Amino acid sequence: MSPKSAEIFFKSESRYRMLVENSCDIIFSLNMEGNFTYISPAWEKILGHEPSGIIGHNFREFIHPEDISLCETSILTSVQTKSAQEMTYRIHHADGGWRRHTSRGTPHLDEDGLLTFIGMAHDVTEQLRIEEIMIQTEKMIMISGMAAGMAHEINNPLGAILQHAQNIERRVSDDIPANLKVAAEIGVDLDLVRVYLQKRGILDFISHIRTAGMRASDIISKMLHFSRRGESGTEYTDIPALLDRVLNLAGTDYDMKKKYNFHRIELLRLYAPELPPVEMAVVEIEQAILNILKNAAQAISGAELNRPPRITVRALLSSGMVVIKIEDNGPGMDEATRMRIFEPFFSTREVGMGTGLGLSVAYAIITKRHHGSIDVQSQAGVGSSFTIKLPLQGEAL
Amino acid sequence: MNNADIRVLLVDDDDMIRDCIMAYLDDEGFSVRGAACGEEALEIIHLLNPAVCISDMRLPGMSGEQFIAAAYALCPSTGYLLHTGMHYSLSDSLCAIGMTDDDILLKPIHDLSKLVRKIKSSAVAWSNK
Repeated sequence: MSPKSAEIFFKSESRYRMLVENSCDIIFSLNMEGNFTYISPAWEKILGHEPSGIIGHNFREFIHPEDISLCETSILTSVQTKSAQEMTYRIHHADGGWRRHTSRGTPHLDEDGLLTFIGMAHDVTEQLRIEEIMIQTEKMIMISGMAAGMAHEINNPLGAILQHAQNIERRVSDDIPANLKVAAEIGVDLDLVRVYLQKRGILDFISHIRTAGMRASDIISKMLHFSRRGESGTEYTDIPALLDRVLNLAGTDYDMKKKYNFHRIELLRLYAPELPPVEMAVVEIEQAILNILKNAAQAISGAELNRPPRITVRALLSSGMVVIKIEDNGPGMDEATRMRIFEPFFSTREVGMGTGLGLSVAYAIITKRHHGSIDVQSQAGVGSSFTIKLPLQGEAL
Repeated sequence: MNNADIRVLLVDDDDMIRDCIMAYLDDEGFSVRGAACGEEALEIIHLLNPAVCISDMRLPGMSGEQFIAAAYALCPSTGYLLHTGMHYSLSDSLCAIGMTDDDILLKPIHDLSKLVRKIKSSAVAWSNK
């Protein structure tokens, strides 16, 4: 190489190095075993690991187990077809969590004749999270419209069931003059009729119709939460006091005590000091938080844990919103469950063990009524974490 | 006041609902009439001059809200109750004729004895007008 062309080469080499090392995206190369031979400094900034812990290590050590085969297939296709391939996967962060990255890579034959795979990875965690929230919001708007329409249509027949059951009870009683009159006209002893109905359990059946109707009616009225405009007034509320109140309430709740052994769960309260009060419909927010706590307690009680059960409730201020986090160290949930957790009637419990409405009611209260947001992160085997964000001032609550 | 002295007009397009509520009120001794829509009710309300009129919200033709406003113009001393499946905030026109949130009955009424108490209290207010 002449001194002139060597100079051009080094200038060009240093220019490319500068581009690579200052890129906001991660640039990496893998050898054909899948071990990292190069990573750009952005890796440490984005994922927090020391570069020394990565070079020479296999990419599979960093990728979420469920996404490894997808990456393997993309890399293989890229090498076989000598074309660029794109893939989105979860990658490990030094903080123990996962981030979603999209990368685009191509095979490259280097000057020594070695085949490598060179790629550029971009963090899309936040973008996907926003997309997910948008899809979730649209889905909930659709479902809530359906729920409200259904609830309305069901109310009338339900009313007829409840009220006619009541009418039947009354028309066999002996304290309504018209009953006695008709019985006398046709020569029937109403007392005997009642004895018969009693002995054959018919009066109980009728009473059960009423009880069942009332239960259905309670479910319908919860469903109507979705379409409900706010009725109760709002007030500025101290968040730590509110959370303490709900935790106490949870301790006295029947299901929590008897079914979920709430008293055996360690409660950790981590409230940031001097949180500003938040404008809210207090009873509704209490209800929403209680429903989330119930879900956590139920998840914990239904699993064999090798650790003491714990629920952590945090309150903090972030970008002008009050953030309430409810974390449990229960069994967590898989991605399919997590995506549907706020849908009404979606329940992983056995039929009859809860309506599957608790979290959807919480969702409606927080997003529709209070213009806040709620989302959930979860890792199977580790636990779930619900994050509620509420604006300090309710606009048009 | 005896129940027999209290005339009630029930407006609901659902035959089942009219049947079961009218049967109950009949057993309680009230004198009850039914109408399947606001237009039909408006034709008879001034003849009946009921103490209490209970109207469904969602009706074919005029809404329960429009019906009550029009009925009030004919029978201002009648007590009006709105029977609805949805949570509902009273419109200005209904507030203006003195209705309050207590005059909204949510469907389904689990126990019709509550409706009877409500009718009686509305009728007392009516008889004092």
